[in-house]
Amino acid sequence: MGVRGEVPNARMAGLALLRPAASTAATIVLLLERVAAQDREAFSALYTATSAKLYGIILRISRRRDIADEVLQEVYVQIWERAAYYDASKGSPITWMVAIARNRALDEARRKKAVSIEDTPEVFGIADEEEHPLERVEKSQQLQRLSQCLDALDSDRREVVLLAYREGMTREALGQRFSRPPATIKSWLRRSLLQLRDCLGQ
Amino acid sequence: MTERDEIDVLAGEYVLGTLDAGERIAAQAQRRRDRALDAAIAAWEERLAPLAESVPPVAVPKDLLAKIEAKLPMAQPGAQIVALERRAQHWRRIAIATSALAACLLLAIGVREVSRPQMPTTYVAVFQKDDASPAFLLTVDLTTRVLSVRPVAAEPPAGKSYQLWIASERSGGAPQSLGLIEAKQDSTQRALAAYDRATVERATFGISLEPAGGSPTGRPTGPAFHAKLIKTSR
Repeated sequence: MGVRGEVPNARMAGLALLRPAASTAATIVLLLERVAAQDREAFSALYTATSAKLYGIILRISRRRDIADEVLQEVYVQIWERAAYYDASKGSPITWMVAIARNRALDEARRKKAVSIEDTPEVFGIADEEEHPLERVEKSQQLQRLSQCLDALDSDRREVVLLAYREGMTREALGQRFSRPPATIKSWLRRSLLQLRDCLGQ
Repeated sequence: MTERDEIDVLAGEYVLGTLDAGERIAAQAQRRRDRALDAAIAAWEERLAPLAESVPPVAVPKDLLAKIEAKLPMAQPGAQIVALERRAQHWRRIAIATSALAACLLLAIGVREVSRPQMPTTYVAVFQKDDASPAFLLTVDLTTRVLSVRPVAAEPPAGKSYQLWIASERSGGAPQSLGLIEAKQDSTQRALAAYDRATVERATFGISLEPAGGSPTGRPTGPAFHAKLIKTSR
């Protein structure tokens, strides 16, 4: 649904915020400008429009609701404090917010050093469920391009990149998952990253 | 590997999140003094961002927004100044690229643009009844009175439609339909043409869930949520 018809089904509706629909991004930019000027109403609107998306991303990495709740709070305080530094000429506002969210979630995950044992099955649960996650979502152009480049990697190596990005797994955790020493994961990552960079042409 | 490869691999691992705690802290410290690394990290954030599309949104616990708002630092004039300075810099960059005379003119215009708040024309409203409900973003350009409504995460239940309403002083506060959100874009986009600017500015907007095809009575009949417009000067 959608006034302009760019969100034709439920799956895409859930992704609407991160799709390259220019005016959604433009709306977020407008809200960020108001937030930079310390407008609390605009802040709450920005939160309403973006928090479920960021929470989903954080929860994947943090794995525990209590940690994710803390991280989300810090992320929005950071967004409030840094909104004035967001530069629309350097990239989409969503990318900017996602980077803040992932960074905070990863910092927290590394600081705690840990995922306790009882959290681990949950991680595998999520991963198993999403064996072919890229095939199941409607893709933006950027995602299509990235998927093509990911498809050029061997399947294990592609899986390593996806698990790292979404679940925030370290080389060590990935090594356990793939029954390889962390050094092997490191060399996989090295080659995958360079191949991706060259494939994406930048 | 070349030096650039080394930087790109470190930046890529940093963004993927595969560095251990020590490596991560070291990379953050290096980033602060190494522009090449900083730029490489930003490039990977951009390259990998599409992957975030495939992570589904999760409803946020209700009380979090209030907790966050309580943590926001009190208004500091600093942030506003940074935003203004950035715009002034933008004008300065343009100015430098032109002749000296033109530069002076541009700078003068630039400073005026910055120091005198412009008439706000674009207004934004966000609708959400509660965390479990869909959210909509409504944008209205008050000069042209063109509006657009877009769902952030909204799909009406089968056999239902979302309908947009305006309650203004013109109708004595009674809601009047602005059209179905799933209808063709023109039906709601131009729906405000008949309202004057001041009325729209003060009006309350509502979105209600109606039987497919819209309310049979001309009034909202289903669960509705409301929002006021927020100014975003442009």
